[in-house]
Order: sequence, then structure tokens, then C-alpha cells
Amino acid sequence: MKYLLLIYGNQEKWASIPAAEWPEAIARQDAFNRKYRATGELIGAYGLADEVQARLVRRENGQPAVTDGPYLETKEYIASFYLLDCESEERALQIAADMPFADVDPVEFWPILHEAKPDL
Amino acid sequence: MTVSRGEVEGLLRELAPQVLTALVRRYGQFHLCEDASQEALLAAAQQWPSGGLPDNPRGWLITVASRRLMDQVRSEQSRRAREELVAAATPPFELLGPPADAEPADRDDSLALLFGCCHPDLSSPSQIALTLRAVSGLSTAQIAAAFGVPEATMAQRISRAKQTIAGAGFDFSLPTGVERTERLRAVLHVLYLVFNEGYTASEGDTLTVPALSDEAIRLTRWLHRLLPDDAEVAGLLALMLLTDARRPARTLPDGSLVPLAEQDRQQWDQAKIAEGTALISAALPRGEVGPYQLQAAIAAVHDEAKTMADTDWTQILGLYDLLELAAPNPFTALNRAVAVAMVRGPEAGLEVIAALEADKRMARHHRLIATRAHLHELAGDPGTAAADYLDAARRATSLPERRYLALQASRLAG
Repeated sequence: MKYLLLIYGNQEKWASIPAAEWPEAIARQDAFNRKYRATGELIGAYGLADEVQARLVRRENGQPAVTDGPYLETKEYIASFYLLDCESEERALQIAADMPFADVDPVEFWPILHEAKPDL
Repeated sequence: MTVSRGEVEGLLRELAPQVLTALVRRYGQFHLCEDASQEALLAAAQQWPSGGLPDNPRGWLITVASRRLMDQVRSEQSRRAREELVAAATPPFELLGPPADAEPADRDDSLALLFGCCHPDLSSPSQIALTLRAVSGLSTAQIAAAFGVPEATMAQRISRAKQTIAGAGFDFSLPTGVERTERLRAVLHVLYLVFNEGYTASEGDTLTVPALSDEAIRLTRWLHRLLPDDAEVAGLLALMLLTDARRPARTLPDGSLVPLAEQDRQQWDQAKIAEGTALISAALPRGEVGPYQLQAAIAAVHDEAKTMADTDWTQILGLYDLLELAAPNPFTALNRAVAVAMVRGPEAGLEVIAALEADKRMARHHRLIATRAHLHELAGDPGTAAADYLDAARRATSLPERRYLALQASRLAG
């Protein structure tokens, strides 16, 4: 089963972290990524650019129409996402709880729909 | 003589465990041998369809794999490993071994390999991945495609699993006594999971992504040949055949699900039903009745009913009662609730479900809610049934299942 983990945040929050603490925070996240890539459970880990770089793309009269900004005006935006493939939901929840920042901010956890057809 | 790609693939599946076990026997070093054996299989898959089969395909593969192994060791400049290999190396004529099925030692080695891949230190996904690679001879790319994960992720899973096996000291010794029973149970579970994965996953290109259910049946058939007296192995093979027989009828061309009650039974594969029924009929009287045999027996009762109304629910309920004793499991209990409803009425079935709701996780599971919806509908309460179907749809994680449940909800609400 595949799961999506989402981390939210904003500039204000990250700016409040002292610069001296960043190397360690990054090292902890790298260690997490390495650990679960090695088990074959972490499919991908991606950090997103700042919200000022987010765009909305529509098609108008067959032409792309691009405007600034994320879709929703919210206090926090998606900062990074992680794709897992695990034996069970319990295991995926366990990995989510092992996320370095999980003791500060919650990790949003979404099961991903799959094409499997059960026997009826 | 040219051979089709499909025939070559089939032959390679058969030879894969023999080549790997021959290599490990000779050189040890499971991890390296597995890589070398895989490379030889890939070379054969590329060369044989156009160039024709060699006189002794097994010998060809072992020779090529041995050469690759030497190359690997040389390129790694590992003097120690090279010395070990030289010490273990045998004259080349011995590598042109006897035909595939001649040696009884092959049988035990292949079995030991399968048991090794299902080592208890490995997680289920790792056991499955390693079995498909080392025993089935599938490439990492094929396994990754079959499970819908990137090749790098699958490679990582397989590599780690191989290290675990090597660390556990894989030495071809077959477990005995209780340990053997436990390990065989793990092997059967892995084969069952591979079958289910293939039974449920959407069909891909059968050459690039082999149908996992077919591969599970092939492996179980092979295991049944190795252990003809084991009733549970026969039971699992029968269960797979009797379930797979319904495959043509269980989905519509647009991919939507057709429940058992509404399937066109003319489309069921009668040859598979006959084979599965014969297997289970022969296994049951031996008296070592286990969960796979009981599930196969239930599938056989369903398969022999000409229509849903002809189904012998009393017999099915009796089998579920035995299954609950042999292998208690909330999902078995849920299926039993349906049988109870068919024999004693929907209210009795709903009582069984109510008891299962004591388990909080089970109470929120879409299967329980969907089953409850079905029984409410049978009890003549479409409103409650619709609400339950909708709730079940929201909790389902399989897309076709979610669509099916949502459709039931709107049918009853409409």
C-alpha cells in the first residue's frame, strides 16, 4: 500500500529557527530519508520551493493561462511530501511518527487509492 | 530452431532456481551468485528467441552465470574472494550438468532456496520480492512494474533482503520439525499474497509485467510437485485455481467489478474448476485439514453451483465454522456472517457482525461496513444499507472497489 506524507509550514515559522540549528535539522532529515530508502519503503522525498514560486495553470481558449500563487489562501502551505510503499498502515504510521519534525508539527497522512480489484 | 519469447520466458522461470542453487552450491556467496544468475537469465532472454535454444539450456545458464561471477569478483579486485572462488571452482565439464529434472538433490536445493527467501527476518514485501527474483527469475524491473514502485525502490528492497539471507547463513539446510512447519506456512502465505496481488492488480503487458496470479499458480504447482504429500500445499493450489477460474467473469470490459451473485457463470473456466476440485477432493480425506484446504473447499462449493440460488450455503457455513476453529481471523468471521445470513436470515448475520464491531479497527474497516450494508439490504432496510455503502465507499482504498460501493449506495438511495 502506498501512502503520502505531507509536511506543512510557512516562512515565518522557518525564519524562527536559528540558523545554527539548520545543519542538524537537515542532517536528521537526510538520515530519515536514507534509512527508509534503504528498507525499500521510501519511494520519494521532495521539498517544495517557496510559495511565491507556486503557480496556477489553467487552459483558456486552448492556451495555457498562468497566474501566481497557491490555490488556497492559507496560513501554512505544503513544504515537503514523501511517498511510501509499506506492508501495512501500521508500518506507514510508524514511519510517519519517525519523521524528525513529528514531535513539533503533525505529519499529514493520506492512503493512496490503488487499482486493486478485490474478490467479491 | 527458433522459439517464441513466451516459451523462452517459461523455460527460464523453470530453470531460474536450479541455476541459482547450482551456483550457490559451488561458490557460496548468495548475494553475488544471485546477481550473476540474474545476468545469465537476462542474456538468455535476449539471445535465445532469435538464436535458438542451446543444447543444454541449464548448463548454458550455469556456465554463463559462473563466468559473470568470476568477472564480478575480478572487477571488484577482491583477492580474498577470488581465492575462495578458485578453491571452490570445479572443472567446466561439471557445469554442463544433467538435464533439469534428473537430480533429486535439485529438489531439496530448490526447496531450500524457496524456504530461504521466506526467512522470518524478512518483511512480507521483501519475502515476496526476493522469491520473485531468486526463485521465479524475474528481473527487478519486472517486479517493480508488477508492484507499481520505481525500480530503484525495488532494487533496494531486494538487495537488503539478499543481505539478510546471506547474513543468516544460507546453507541449503532444510529446517526440520516445528521450524519446517512454520517456514512452510510462511512460504504458502507468500505464494498466497503473490496470487492475490496478481488477482487484483490491473492487467499489464504480460511479457513485461508477468501476471502475478499466473506466476503464483506456477510456483505453487511446482511446490506441489516437490511436496506431493502435503495437503495444505495441494489446498492452496486448489484455492488459487478455483478462485482464478472466476477471473473472466469478475470484471466488465470497463474494469468495473461484478460481485459473485451477478457473475455470468458461463464464463467461469471449467478446466480450472475441475482441476481445483480434483485436488481438494484428494487432499481433504487425508485428514490434515488446514485453512487453505477449507478455503478451497468453500470456493469449490461456490464454483459447482450453477446459479447463486443453487449455492449450498449450509455446507459453506459448516466449512466456515471449521475455518474459524482452524484459523480465527476477523475477515473469515465477516465472510461467515454472510453464510449465517444465507442460512438463518439477515438478522442472524447482522448479529455476527455486531459482535465483530467490538474491535474498533474492524468496526471502521470498509469490508465490515460493506458486508453490513449488504445484510441490511437483504433485511429490507435500503436506507441503512445505502448509508453503510456510502460510508464503506469512503473508507475503501481500492479505486474499483470504491466505485462499486458508491454505485450500490446511489442505487439504493435513488
